[in-house]
Amino acid sequence: MRETVAMIRAAWLAETSYRMNMLFSLASLLTMVVPLYFIANALQSTMATRISAEGSQYFAFVLIGATTYMFIAACTSALPSALASAIGKGTLEAFLGTPTNWATLFVGLSGYNILWALVRASVMIAMGVALGARVALHGLIPLVLIVFLLVLAYGSVGLIGAALLLRYRTTGPLLNGVLTASALLGGVYYPTYVIPSWLQQVSKAMPLSYGLRAARQVALLGQPFHAVSHDVIILTLCVTALLPIGILCVATSLHYARKSGTLGHY
Amino acid sequence: MGTTIANPNPGSALEFALPAANAPTVVVSELTKRFSSRSSVREMIGGRFRKVATVVDQVSFEVDEGEIFGVLGPNGAGKTTIFKMLSTLVVPDDGYATVCGNDIWTEPARVRSRLAAVSSDERSLNWRLSARENLLLFAALHKVPRREADGLVGAMLKRVGLEGSGHKMVAAFSSGMRQRLLIARSMLARPKVLLLDEPTRALDPISAQELRQFLRNELVDRQRCTIVLATHNAEEAFGFCDRIVVLNKGRVLATGTPSDLRARYGEERFRIVTTDPDHPCFGRLEAMGVMRRLVRDVRTADGWHTLECSITGDASRTASVLEMLYANGVRVARLERVEPSLADLIARIIEATSKGISNA
Repeated sequence: MRETVAMIRAAWLAETSYRMNMLFSLASLLTMVVPLYFIANALQSTMATRISAEGSQYFAFVLIGATTYMFIAACTSALPSALASAIGKGTLEAFLGTPTNWATLFVGLSGYNILWALVRASVMIAMGVALGARVALHGLIPLVLIVFLLVLAYGSVGLIGAALLLRYRTTGPLLNGVLTASALLGGVYYPTYVIPSWLQQVSKAMPLSYGLRAARQVALLGQPFHAVSHDVIILTLCVTALLPIGILCVATSLHYARKSGTLGHY
Repeated sequence: MGTTIANPNPGSALEFALPAANAPTVVVSELTKRFSSRSSVREMIGGRFRKVATVVDQVSFEVDEGEIFGVLGPNGAGKTTIFKMLSTLVVPDDGYATVCGNDIWTEPARVRSRLAAVSSDERSLNWRLSARENLLLFAALHKVPRREADGLVGAMLKRVGLEGSGHKMVAAFSSGMRQRLLIARSMLARPKVLLLDEPTRALDPISAQELRQFLRNELVDRQRCTIVLATHNAEEAFGFCDRIVVLNKGRVLATGTPSDLRARYGEERFRIVTTDPDHPCFGRLEAMGVMRRLVRDVRTADGWHTLECSITGDASRTASVLEMLYANGVRVARLERVEPSLADLIARIIEATSKGISNA
């Protein structure tokens, strides 16, 4: 735990040494939420009936969708991008040369990106609420649990991406493919039941579909946790299937890199 | 190989293996590593898709506690790969190695807690952090207790002469300062073995000399640390190391102390600075078979000439050569020993081996 905290702290100190970048990163949230507010309000009358199973206010609906998507996208790419950066900077071998095990190191490497995304997501939600998005406060704890499961599911995809990066020095189309498909078919801007029926079958393969539906029902409709248990169970099954695969892929790729001597290669 | 010190709480960090008394600190036995690389299009057409190159070929050596052991070889000799295998960053194909009695195959975490590798690659530091922040990060990764970390970092910065630059961003450091910071970072782990991969490569001669003195006085004499140093600089290896292994193309050519290697493979080479390079005394010494001139004459702007020659025999023979030159009125400003160049040494070892007179 201490090693992870030290790595996150170091990443934070390095990031804050680029002060303007930090400011722009936060300011960019404004340019995301404010247009979303105007567009969602303009579409409110059209979308109200279509989103009725997951909420009544389209701005709140799309705010939860966009924020969650932004967060899980950051979680998915956190480890691959941190590893690519560590390989490029030449720090990966130095880290792996310490007695700290690789799993702790990898959590530490991606920790800052995930925490920063969490801060950005929280700021987005707070800005949305300030602009009039109606979020049920008692739904926040189940919302956190659902988002945590989503992070584990998409983090597992990130682990597979990290394995590809260690093995081939590229994640290929995996991360972009999964994230684009999730954005289009996972119910970020519209509920999954409005898309054509054959595409709905594809959307059932996206953990985001279940996560967002459950998240909106608890956070926007104020439904109790047991009302969304079906989606949560499916999400848990996704995590149970994906996480061991992700860990196995990374362990195998790490062993390959050690065997082939490519650990520190660009 | 070693003795296991068990504690009442097995599996905890307190249980560790110590090498038996007088056992070597580092044992490398028949270590072999082969890397495969992609073939060219022409080779692929010929059905050969991968090329396999043996970069470390059955290398064996042992290093004792408190020894400075040089791994000398040209680029591509396998020095860095051996270091990476000892650091458990590269998995060997054959052979084994132990560090303080811990096997690199089966106990990599214990090996990493006993050994620290210092790469000459300054990029492995975080340039956007200060020296102190860099060290604090690695103190945590080396599991230095939190209450000790701050004091230890301060002490290490002081020891490498960076106490006044601890809060400065590493990006603003010179190469020499970064090199010293890399050494301070490796010392945080209080390692028993330090692997130094060409540590003086980016340093000017004065900084390099200071670093060598620091390594000898502070790490070896004071802390009884074992140093394994990779270099392609024969002068550094012969002048600084207690023992040397000479590698070429992944294979061990020779192992021994500098004087032993000089005696086995090198003629004693000297540089004489004189104003009379053509004095008949030199010719007489050559005729007697005592001396052989190798590099004839390099004239300096102020009238001095430099001769490089070999002198057979021991130090007393060299002293008598100098006396003879003085007695015959040859003006000699300096007579000094010249370390063999790496290329010369390798050529001589290969030549000696082919003649079958190698001691190996």
